[in-house]
Amino acid sequence: MSSETGTELRASDAALIDRIMQRDQTALAALYDRYAGMLSSVLIRILRDRQTAEEILQDIFFQLWSAPSRFDPGRGSLPAWLMVIARNRAISQLRRHNPAAGEPLVEAAAISTINLESAASQQQLLGRVKGALENLPPEQRAAVEFAYFDGLTHSEIAKRTGDPLGTVKTRLRSAVETLRRTLHSAAGSTT
Amino acid sequence: MNAHPTREEDFDLYALGALEGDERLAIETHVVSCADCARKLAEAHGRIALLALAAPPSEPSAGVKQRLMQQVRRDAERSSALPASPGVPARTSGRPSRETPRSSEPFGRWWAAVLVPVGAVLAVATVLLWTDNRQLDRQLAGLRSAVEQQQQQLQEAREAADMIESHDTVTIALAQQPGMPAGAAHVMYNARMGMLMYDGEIAPAPAAKSYQLWLVPEGGKPISAGVFNPVGGRTDHWMMKLPQGIAAKEFAVSLEPAGGMPQPTGPMVLIGRA
Repeated sequence: MSSETGTELRASDAALIDRIMQRDQTALAALYDRYAGMLSSVLIRILRDRQTAEEILQDIFFQLWSAPSRFDPGRGSLPAWLMVIARNRAISQLRRHNPAAGEPLVEAAAISTINLESAASQQQLLGRVKGALENLPPEQRAAVEFAYFDGLTHSEIAKRTGDPLGTVKTRLRSAVETLRRTLHSAAGSTT
Repeated sequence: MNAHPTREEDFDLYALGALEGDERLAIETHVVSCADCARKLAEAHGRIALLALAAPPSEPSAGVKQRLMQQVRRDAERSSALPASPGVPARTSGRPSRETPRSSEPFGRWWAAVLVPVGAVLAVATVLLWTDNRQLDRQLAGLRSAVEQQQQQLQEAREAADMIESHDTVTIALAQQPGMPAGAAHVMYNARMGMLMYDGEIAPAPAAKSYQLWLVPEGGKPISAGVFNPVGGRTDHWMMKLPQGIAAKEFAVSLEPAGGMPQPTGPMVLIGRA
């Protein structure tokens, strides 16, 4: 759901980031309207806790306000960068509750050419990503979801599912090979 | 520089978070010195990020944006170097107003003149009560969270006291290494309990760097005990939990890229033998 005005609907992410650098609060509000729903969905899916998810969501946008220069438009799209941050923050939060799980995630550079500045392009890409996942064999899809949404490594997935480690590695590698092709073409179609 | 990853999908597996141990480390150490692979890894992060879109749609509560913009307003007001805050946009929606059209028929009846204001007052009261209820819910959630936090702190304090009093807890002094920033620290460690407490003083880490504390076991690779950036140089009673039963050979503090590394890559600033 968006409450962006017509002018802000047309403003590019890069232009809105420039305005945030000039301390324009309406630009932050516009980016929030554009991407909060998308980020909220992934945070709630990972954390299964709306309150914590919303605290992290607010913090991500406040960080964007506080240090907009951390995003480099020359290196790719803002939503991809925000999604990497949101997922890393959520997985780190999960691991804080279970310190034995996994290794620490650090903020990573993300290069992507996707353009999700309009609700239509978000819907279009969403359909393609869902389609890409649904076309995977169920066990491959489950392995990808364990890794992405639950932050599990190969051996943690093997432990969770009871499958041999080698099987899990093969499944995930096959899934990733397929996703590389389909997500690459999906991303390309929204630029 | 170690070898390039043999398969392109290794970058995606890394971005997915599935790799661990040596596989993960091999990519992390390689991309530090290979710009081409660092770019491929960033592309993989961008590609894998798209999976977020597969999450079931869930809009945040309206209060999140309200709280965010209040936070932003406070931040803008605090900053004396900035021009007067432009404030939150007066609009809350870009859509045209959806006010219900008023009836063109005049209120000719006496009861309408009474009931309309009463209705308006009731509507306002309902909204105020609803708002109060929401505020109380939030306060209750905040109090619950504070109680849980205090219980956790109490539990940690009990565990720390147990560790300090335990006969098998050892104290190791960590000494400054030649050519490194001035500093000294000590670690209390109990292998049976898997607990460690760090106290020390060290020069603040340079920009984009963090200090990282390592437990070096008798056999095997160093184990990260945590990343820290001491404010004012001092770190007091920093408690950490580690896997239980690991015999320590030594403890060390290294200087690493901000956020820390899976294995030490930077210079050792402090070292102490157990």
